[in-house]
Amino acid sequence: MRGRGVPWVSYLVVAVGAVLTMVPFLDMVMTSFKGPGEAGTLPYRFLPSAFDLSNYRAAISQLNLPLLFRNSVVVTAAITCSVLLTSSLAGYALAKLRFPGRDFVFRLVLATMMFPPFLFFVPHFLILVHWPLAGGNDALGRGGAGLTTGIAALAVPFLVNGFGVFLTRQFMLSIPDEVLEAARIDGAGEFALWWRVVLPQTRPVLLTLGLLTFVDAWNEYIWALLISTANPSVMTLPVGIQLLQDHLDPTRTTPVIMSALVLSTLPVLLLFLLLQKHYIRGVMTSGLK
Amino acid sequence: MVSTLVPERAGPERAGPERAGRERRARPVSGAADGPPRTRRRRTVVAYLFLSPVLLFFAVFLVLPLGFAVLLSLSHWSGFALSGIEPVGLDNFAALFAAGSTFLVPVLTNTLLFALGTVALALGGSVLVASCIERLRFQGLWRTLYFLPIVTTVVAVGNVWKYMYEPGGLVNGVLNAAGAGSVAFLADPDTALPSVVVVQAWASLGSAILVLTAGLKSIPESYYEAASLDGAGQATVFWRITLPLLRPSLLFVCVTQFLTGLQSFALITVMTKGGPGDATNVAALEMYRRAFSYGDWGTASAAAFVLFVVVLLVTLAQLWVFRRKGEEA
Amino acid sequence: MTPDGRGAGTATGGAGGTGPSRRRFSRALAAALPASLLGAGCAAPGRGTGRPGDPVVLTLLSHYGGGESKEALRGPVDEWNATHDRVKVRTTAVEFDDLLTTLMVRQAAGQGADLVHPYCLWTGQLVRSGVLAPAPPEHAAEIRRGYGTAAVGAASAGGVVHGYPTELQTYALYYNRRLLREAGIDQPPRTWLELEEAAYRTTRRDGYGNTLVQGFGLSTYDDSTTVGQTLALLASAGGAFVAADGRGTAIDSAAGRAVFALERRLVDRGASVPGINMYQAFPAGRVAMVIGAGWWTGSLTSRMGAAYRDVGVAPVPVPEAGGRPGTLCTGFLLGVNAAGPHQREAWEFLRWLNAEKVGVGSGTGASTGASHKAVGAATRMSVLQASLGSLTGRADDMRVLLGADADPNLRPFLEALAYAVPEPNVPGAQRAKSLLRKGIEELWTGRRSVDEALRTVRRQVDQEVARSW
Repeated sequence: MRGRGVPWVSYLVVAVGAVLTMVPFLDMVMTSFKGPGEAGTLPYRFLPSAFDLSNYRAAISQLNLPLLFRNSVVVTAAITCSVLLTSSLAGYALAKLRFPGRDFVFRLVLATMMFPPFLFFVPHFLILVHWPLAGGNDALGRGGAGLTTGIAALAVPFLVNGFGVFLTRQFMLSIPDEVLEAARIDGAGEFALWWRVVLPQTRPVLLTLGLLTFVDAWNEYIWALLISTANPSVMTLPVGIQLLQDHLDPTRTTPVIMSALVLSTLPVLLLFLLLQKHYIRGVMTSGLK
Repeated sequence: MVSTLVPERAGPERAGPERAGRERRARPVSGAADGPPRTRRRRTVVAYLFLSPVLLFFAVFLVLPLGFAVLLSLSHWSGFALSGIEPVGLDNFAALFAAGSTFLVPVLTNTLLFALGTVALALGGSVLVASCIERLRFQGLWRTLYFLPIVTTVVAVGNVWKYMYEPGGLVNGVLNAAGAGSVAFLADPDTALPSVVVVQAWASLGSAILVLTAGLKSIPESYYEAASLDGAGQATVFWRITLPLLRPSLLFVCVTQFLTGLQSFALITVMTKGGPGDATNVAALEMYRRAFSYGDWGTASAAAFVLFVVVLLVTLAQLWVFRRKGEEA
Repeated sequence: MTPDGRGAGTATGGAGGTGPSRRRFSRALAAALPASLLGAGCAAPGRGTGRPGDPVVLTLLSHYGGGESKEALRGPVDEWNATHDRVKVRTTAVEFDDLLTTLMVRQAAGQGADLVHPYCLWTGQLVRSGVLAPAPPEHAAEIRRGYGTAAVGAASAGGVVHGYPTELQTYALYYNRRLLREAGIDQPPRTWLELEEAAYRTTRRDGYGNTLVQGFGLSTYDDSTTVGQTLALLASAGGAFVAADGRGTAIDSAAGRAVFALERRLVDRGASVPGINMYQAFPAGRVAMVIGAGWWTGSLTSRMGAAYRDVGVAPVPVPEAGGRPGTLCTGFLLGVNAAGPHQREAWEFLRWLNAEKVGVGSGTGASTGASHKAVGAATRMSVLQASLGSLTGRADDMRVLLGADADPNLRPFLEALAYAVPEPNVPGAQRAKSLLRKGIEELWTGRRSVDEALRTVRRQVDQEVARSW
């Protein structure tokens, strides 16, 4: 539009970049079909000799993929629902209610976004271990395994998200006060108001926040690795796939890992492709990643 | 007056936003948010009820852990009962920076190199691609393509690249086809860090492109028109107009990517576990290992705080720069 | 991370091996994986069902998670469970690379196994972190009586025994008879001088300068080929890595300098090319001599086939003719969790497994039944280890199990039990070992001189080890 004629150079640059971006994904898919002795041997070949699904079957049975999927789905769903619920509740109070301490609480929420996650790995783990009256602990948090025995341990540290509160609050500011006042005069309680009036109007931002949270929770690795080390039965997809590493002969394992990765990536990829506008908006606001 | 009619019609609870919106026009706006003291008190209570899940969570999972982390970083604890925590002052911090400690070199220097390398690659790549996409059709499609790595789990990204870097992998396959010898990308201490930097940059290119695209779109078309009237070439336009006006977006990408680079260790855990030797070991990974492999909770917490200070300084620098930019504008 | 160059398949193959044995093992492991991966023990220390009258269930965490090692461990455990009603044992396993972290994390989470099978290098750390319980007096006495000094030392921390030594590895010199003969050498080297000379004479290069045969294999491939070799040479020179009081390193000594200088000379003069994978190069006949641990014999046998008859094993050469022999010894121990509720039962199981002798048939194909003609008695653990091609610290058992038809190459490893020095296992030993490995790599790749490398290692290890106390 700014240059004249067909921008060949730009096409070339963008196309080469796009190929470089896509090639790892294609290599992942191609490798997932490779038979014994095909992957990781010299000379390198991009295409598999045949497209059969034996690696996918191997991944599903060897990795116990159904269980890993179930764990991932439960954890992701719990985190996403909780973040949406807590963010929209708090966001509403911060945007539309007047009460003493509101500015302080809002600043607090902003401040929570300053603390990077690595600061919390050690203390969160120890807090879950010493959670009182759970997993065999006494009232002082001694003696047992605390919350680390259950799948809840995977979700708990992510149930509330300061950025989520911030995002919903910013969006709710744009809801006209008159709408709310009208409903209040009609005798609606604040919770009814939040549920019937505010939430429906907040749908776009909730969709964005939900997507961001979903993708992050689905892809989360480090915390899940730690909790699965303590308790392998709650292993999620990324951890389970990663643990298959180096267990087997590389020329056989690599294709199995790749097919497991393809299967685990698909749900997020599809969701993203369907709802990318909402996701991208979230990334733009958060500036993270 | 109207309100008496409402229950008969739908009931206030069931009044959807459309109805509320319609009624708004029919009704005088009540500007007073502050009612009588009793209502105000009730509203405060309600507000804090709305906030209670979030506040409770932050108390237990933010304030408490921070306090705990500070305590641990100032203590020696071998991991038995919590009562066995012995305060040792700043010993843990001293140990991190003592002569012979590997924390400053190579761990912290690796961290900075990793962050700097990613920023440089991602920034260069995204400026190039974003400004080229601007001239093409199907911009959305292109951007979606570049965005895919961002929604992919680090385990997939790390494993695919690790496999591509192997002697029988794609990268060496291409090198060999071009007549070059194989490179032991991740096995050689000299190439390991640059190799993971490339992957991190590859994975973060998409979001950088997005931010820069927004920046490019906000440059008024009139600037370009004026330039073309003056007969400026494309290169001149890019250097004289696009880049300077893109500065806020560039800065934003720069700082956010730098912060992400300083903190991230999942990719490195997946690809190299910090090796070979300490060649790709970074501060967050070192913290994780000290705590969970060696049970050295004290220096692990101290390392986390040192890294936090670095992150904080970068964040403050970011705020300062942005504020200054805001005043200039 | 792997101490002896292998993962879960303790005696089945080198970490980098892709040979037939490795593949067979992999297939077996592929079948076993779901169970070990997901069914692995997540229970709190053996509380059983908690109902009175129900048996106590002890969990055992090891890295014997795949293939032959898993099967080998299952034998005695099944036997115990079949013959004991009140106490049952359930095994769980993780990869060796994840073993230390798993031990630490599960302990911190209050979910540590009742019985743990750690690498001896970690003994000090695990005692300090409250994982390993000291052995009760009668068991300590039993251990001191039944095992060699090196084995007892490896399973002790601060002079206190903390478990039954199990798998034990000593280091010796592997050599390729054919390559030595082709260079006109009939005898394996006995001194460093002979070693160096043989290394230079066996080295061969092609016209482009590519090394076809390395005289002496120094490989940065894993801990075993870097730290293992270096510490074996250091022990043969009478040196030590960690000082007697355990609070610093003793590597910056005359002996340490001599070892580093020897290795550096071998690299500089082209007899060693550290970048290669030793576990592929030696079986392929591209390395004349290399120092390695005993478990490797098993994997070499299956990998090399007929060519294995060229492989010989001799004690690690000493600096001067007539000097006292010395080498490194590494291993594992089976201990009891200090936080476990059923420690008495756990020790009783360990005694049954590690100290009670059963009749065995001839050779390594040992059987605990009476069907074979019994040629002697050995503990169940010795039988288990021998079936994997490994040793235990019970020399008498080993002599019984390695009967007349055993691989003669195992003999030097068995003899080395008498004089081998255990790997230091003070708190911080794992970190000290990684620091040493980095120092050796920098020395070999020419990034640091002998003096600089020694100084750096000393500074870093002193700082790390002193801290861990």
